[in-house]
Amino acid sequence: MNELFRIILSLVIVIGFVLINSLVLVWLERKVSARIQLRRGPLYVGWFGLLQTFADALKMLGKELIFPKNCDKVLYFLAPILSFAPVLGAFLVIPFGQHLVIQDLNIGLLLVFAFSGLSFIGIFMAGWASNNKYSLLGGMRSVAQNISYEIPLLLSSLNIVMMAKSFRLSDIVRAQAHVPFILLQPLAFIIFITSALAESNRTPFDIPEAESELVAGFHTEYSGLRFGIFFISEYTYVFISSCVATALFLGGSHGPFLSGWAWFLMKAYFVVFVVMWVRWTLPRLRSDQLITFAWKVLIPLSLFNIICTALALQLLKQ
Amino acid sequence: MTQTQNDTHWITEGLTVESALEHVYAKNGFHQEFVISKDSLRELAQRFRSREYFLECLSVVDYPDHFECCYQFNRWDKIHRVLVKVRNPDKTHPHFPTLSDIYEGANWYEREGYDFFGVIFDNHPHLTRLLLPETAKIHPMRKDFKGDSGTDVEDVLALIEYEDHQYEKVSQELKNKYQKDYFINMGPQHPSTHGVLRLLLHLDGERVLETYPVIGYSHRDHERMAEYKNYLQFTPNMGRMDYVGAMSFNFGYIGLIEKALGMAPSPRAEYIRVFSTELNRIASHLLWLGTYLLDLGAMTPFFYCFDDRENILDMLEMLTGERLTYNFFRFGGVAYDVPEGLGDQLKAFIPKMRGRLKDYKILIEKNIIFMKRTKEIGVLTKDQALSYGVTGPMLRACGIAYDIRKAEPYSIYPEMNFEIPTFPGCDTFARYQVRLAEIEQSLRIAEQAFAKMPEGPIKGEKAPKVSPKVPAGEFYFAVESARGHYGEYLVANGSANPYRLKQRTPSYANLSSLSSMLSGHLVADVVAVLGSTDVVMPEIDR
Repeated sequence: MNELFRIILSLVIVIGFVLINSLVLVWLERKVSARIQLRRGPLYVGWFGLLQTFADALKMLGKELIFPKNCDKVLYFLAPILSFAPVLGAFLVIPFGQHLVIQDLNIGLLLVFAFSGLSFIGIFMAGWASNNKYSLLGGMRSVAQNISYEIPLLLSSLNIVMMAKSFRLSDIVRAQAHVPFILLQPLAFIIFITSALAESNRTPFDIPEAESELVAGFHTEYSGLRFGIFFISEYTYVFISSCVATALFLGGSHGPFLSGWAWFLMKAYFVVFVVMWVRWTLPRLRSDQLITFAWKVLIPLSLFNIICTALALQLLKQ
Repeated sequence: MTQTQNDTHWITEGLTVESALEHVYAKNGFHQEFVISKDSLRELAQRFRSREYFLECLSVVDYPDHFECCYQFNRWDKIHRVLVKVRNPDKTHPHFPTLSDIYEGANWYEREGYDFFGVIFDNHPHLTRLLLPETAKIHPMRKDFKGDSGTDVEDVLALIEYEDHQYEKVSQELKNKYQKDYFINMGPQHPSTHGVLRLLLHLDGERVLETYPVIGYSHRDHERMAEYKNYLQFTPNMGRMDYVGAMSFNFGYIGLIEKALGMAPSPRAEYIRVFSTELNRIASHLLWLGTYLLDLGAMTPFFYCFDDRENILDMLEMLTGERLTYNFFRFGGVAYDVPEGLGDQLKAFIPKMRGRLKDYKILIEKNIIFMKRTKEIGVLTKDQALSYGVTGPMLRACGIAYDIRKAEPYSIYPEMNFEIPTFPGCDTFARYQVRLAEIEQSLRIAEQAFAKMPEGPIKGEKAPKVSPKVPAGEFYFAVESARGHYGEYLVANGSANPYRLKQRTPSYANLSSLSSMLSGHLVADVVAVLGSTDVVMPEIDR
């Protein structure tokens, strides 16, 4: 009973954190893009425009929720929820600090991938239910993309599991007490970040919502808060990917002077910044090139990397 | 550029020629003119096609006693403009043979002729309305059409009625016909169609089977307006057609009237014209570069290009008082003299822009995603370019150095030292290369023109104080706009307004080649290829 209460309370905290965090991330994205694009970004609402995204969120709350003509109402209603809800589950196992983890499961890493793999179902439902060809194309692309990039994502993190000999995220962090895995596994890190970018539909892999081709892709027909939920879930996926990358490769909460959670957040935000930097620097891949890249480049590379890691581990053992 | 026409007997050999004329090119822009019978037209066109002449323009003219189709054929390598006229005295439903199977570019010109004049081109594959809605009942360019009286008014008002049931019927028919593949409307409201262009895409999954551009959403019938207004009143319309490169269009119209009047602008005005036009060309190419990369999914270059473009707009605002839709050229000169401080800004801008160009090249051409998205995409072969009458950077990306500034030099371009950049790629990447190289060349021209600019009045001595009366005759004048060959065919009858002013706009021919570039590509490539054509819709719709 006590345990259940703890999980529910943590989930409430997580939801609050996720909402505030994504608003901050949106602000950060606007500031970063402005810096890159010779602009100044939001300035007037709040200190350095910090409250601009809150104002935008409030505006979004007031918008009418439209059901398009001939749409599948049940799926249309469920889609944003289904794309947002799983990501909350992933927060259960993220070790923000040495003891700051909601439920330190021994299959933590698998849980994260299981939850994040669910997201594209929501996206495909949105594309299907909107009764719009652009949305449908976006949904189809999203499925193809997610299936392709799930594999290198898993394969690249398998190296870490082999080295840490555990699926438990806190064990993996503990294994990096002296050397973060990014130094031992640079190739795996690059593959992981690339696949994570694709999983969270960010440029250069944002083909499901490619605004210059598909208007807005799967969420073309969504308005108001439902659109807002898609927006929040995208940023939350970016954040969760950064958290996982931090835990797997960047040494998690390890670091001198400051306390563990501060290091963890700093590292995670740095990864988020890199993701944003990439978005505002690169053009978009074409859908077939994207799939080709996953199957012909990333997957062979990560398989090769796994074999090398296994060989190295065996040799070191002897 | 005069040339002997001794070797041109092949044109009409064995055909029924009603009359033939040798024109003085310097006077009205034509080398030769033939009036031939309807039956010989196709044979003649085939001869031109086999000798690599391209169909420059087709204008229909409504004369009191007959309809006339004026075909202009020209060459890329050596200017030889031949005007071929075919007449039909039937004033209700005149029939002409189609050329759309010989020159694919004729397809749209003929549809436009049907649309505006009710001229019927026999055996045309798809003779429907082009610029007006399908439901229109009027032929607005006919001389007997009066939009403000009689039944014409009802017909005009009927244009704005939305006929829902018709579209429902069409879409149902299509649904029954195609089970697996489907249609998608890209535009007229779409982020990447650069204005109000609608592309009807016939898709199989994401693969494009066929593309049908639907144009006319910003049609204002400038040609009809020209007939209502006097020569001076029509000048502001030029900036409204190609709003991105308005200076070239100014140049085209003013140059045409000056040619028809047989007068020259003052020397200082010539230099002002050239450097302002070249600056405008750079601004146009920068706008293209920014939006093109935006189409490919990179948003940041857009802001850098607009930052550079802003410098140009500031300079042109100092000069003309306007930022976009310039109306700066006057008969025999320009509106204002160069203001103080412009020279300093220009001198600061040119090296800055050159530095930026280097940055752009490194950032764009070293980007593997950009290269993958543009190389060997949207290939337009030399023969297709000829068939469609494609001009401008798109043609130069096929490796053909056809540029009006060199081919039939006007104004002070012969004195300028510049090159025509060509690239042999034929794809969207080659178009990018051409445009980037042209920015550099335009910078050179602007620099030279500004440095060599003499002192003196900004208007010629014979510059008309009021709207001039152009002597009766036919005139053609072409300039190189940022998008290609912009020409105007003027039929003047000695009165205060034109009898017919046909606008040959570059994007019109360039866009008509779109469907041949797209078949077999993916939806994402539609955007990449469309962007590479650099269309400006009001210029196409006129």
